[in-house]
Amino acid sequence: MSRKKKVLLFGIGWVALISVLHGYLNVNWAAVLNDSLAPARRKITVAYIPVTCQLTCPVTDYISKFSDSGEIFLPRMFQGFPEIKEALISNKVQAAFIVAPLAIALVAQGVPIKVVYLGHRYGSAVVVRKDGPVSTIADLRGRTIAIPSRFSDERLLVFRAMKIWGIKPGEVKMVEMAPPDVSGALAAGAIDGFSMGEPFPSQAEMAGYGKVLFQAREYWPDYMSCILVVRQDLIDSRPDIVQLLVDGIARSGLWLDRGKPHREAAADFVGRYYFHQEPALLRWALTNPMDRVVYSPLAPRKGDFDMVRDLMIETGVLNKKIEFTEYTDTRFSDGAAIQAPWRYEAGIARAR
Amino acid sequence: MNPLAEPNKWERLLWPMLASALLLVLWHYAVLWSGTKVLPSPLQVERGMLELLYKNVLWQDIGSSLRRVAIGFGAATALGIPLGLILGWYPAANQIVNPVMQILRPISPIAWIPVAIILFGVGDNAAVFLIFLGAFFPIVVACVNGVSNVPLFYRRAGRNFGLMPAQLLTRVVFPAALPQIIIGLRMALGIAWLVVVAAEMVAVDSGLGYLVIDARNSGKRYDLVVAAMITIGVVGLALDSGFRRLEAIKSIRWGFGK
Repeated sequence: MSRKKKVLLFGIGWVALISVLHGYLNVNWAAVLNDSLAPARRKITVAYIPVTCQLTCPVTDYISKFSDSGEIFLPRMFQGFPEIKEALISNKVQAAFIVAPLAIALVAQGVPIKVVYLGHRYGSAVVVRKDGPVSTIADLRGRTIAIPSRFSDERLLVFRAMKIWGIKPGEVKMVEMAPPDVSGALAAGAIDGFSMGEPFPSQAEMAGYGKVLFQAREYWPDYMSCILVVRQDLIDSRPDIVQLLVDGIARSGLWLDRGKPHREAAADFVGRYYFHQEPALLRWALTNPMDRVVYSPLAPRKGDFDMVRDLMIETGVLNKKIEFTEYTDTRFSDGAAIQAPWRYEAGIARAR
Repeated sequence: MNPLAEPNKWERLLWPMLASALLLVLWHYAVLWSGTKVLPSPLQVERGMLELLYKNVLWQDIGSSLRRVAIGFGAATALGIPLGLILGWYPAANQIVNPVMQILRPISPIAWIPVAIILFGVGDNAAVFLIFLGAFFPIVVACVNGVSNVPLFYRRAGRNFGLMPAQLLTRVVFPAALPQIIIGLRMALGIAWLVVVAAEMVAVDSGLGYLVIDARNSGKRYDLVVAAMITIGVVGLALDSGFRRLEAIKSIRWGFGK
């Protein structure tokens, strides 16, 4: 064989090898297949990040695969809110779980989305280093704590606690971090504490370097943080799909609140197939105690959102009093009110 | 086009300005034509930049970034040049150190971020350390090459004039290697400016890299993101052209055939 032939053969072989590897490792075939369908038959993509505030998203996907009608949407995991926001603005995803203040701020900035449902209630906590200098909220003065975003309920939660303890806004330094990074940062001593959704407080607790300073509900009754937003064009063109999505999320919420076995099953399959976290960690976050995070009732309520909006204005991240009806669409949560929990038990490959 | 043609003075200003203006016009119409609601047009970016100026953050952030670069790059120069001269002067020592350096050199300073945070915590020191790492190795390598490329007869001539080894190094070898060292420094400064932006994205709360992340985090404000990007480019250009002035100094100019 001549050298020219050898080089050619090697080149072809190389291209074939990397093409196969690329197709096997990088390409999300479900998404490619979905994109090839006609727009009216396409499944929507729902963005989430690996926190228990958004647990209903993977739970719905997992259980619905066992149902007769099959999966409702394509879930897609992100690692932080800025990425989700960009995907949502540029229509790469049509629905997403994001923090409530971010949704309000995006609507105020002219992004066409609507809040249709909540993700959870409670389930956020402020965590500090176990052997560190902070043992009460008053000790937070002059410290640095991490928050997921300037537009997050976790940040507002800290402000609420600070107000009660008479700490002025500038006295605690807040830095924005992607949720999966905070436990490592706390362990390394880069921050003094963080305010995040589960399972990151549990992670710091289980590993032994963090302790919960306070749970969200201690300073915010009916606390909510992550909510489900949907793009306006989807609501206009395919309201039935949005209703199906909200129904599924509602049913998963009810299913999760049916008792410990369901929580443990969810910790197992979500940890392994979706969040890529230790199932033991999620089990801790979901059952220790059971009401650490709650998944019903999840219909958006004007009072909750008005309070979030007012706190945002007060803490300087929103500059106009935007009304509840401008950024929510409650008809889907109304429609989901008649739903019952999924009928699904782990080990029986059938759901209804 | 004649490759040897020297452009007139007015042409040297006019054509680059025209090219930039053309790019802005293209950008403007690309935004209009695509109907994007996310990417900003040049005018929106200009308004964003003015907003940053009024809020007084732009100068502060430029200042913080420049300060970090000055410290990190200064430390890399202060340590790198002597080390490079010594290693170039004693090839045996260089043979011992070189493999380790060639392993450390291709590691991007970005990859050092987790280690830097553990060593120095979140803050200025970590960022300065990363800049130092980025600038240090190119400087050392440029010095080693510069010294070993000094023609042997320079050294011999120096020795014939009765110079001691230390004098030979400072008065013959260093000036002879200087043009090459300056090129190394210029490259290192460019790397330092790349690294400062990346380092500020994780470890600190001021500077132009932070400005990009901060704008990204503030919802749909891509005008501010692009404004910060352009500022980074302009300051980088200013740094580089400032450094090129050094090449015109008499004791260096000879190395560039002018």
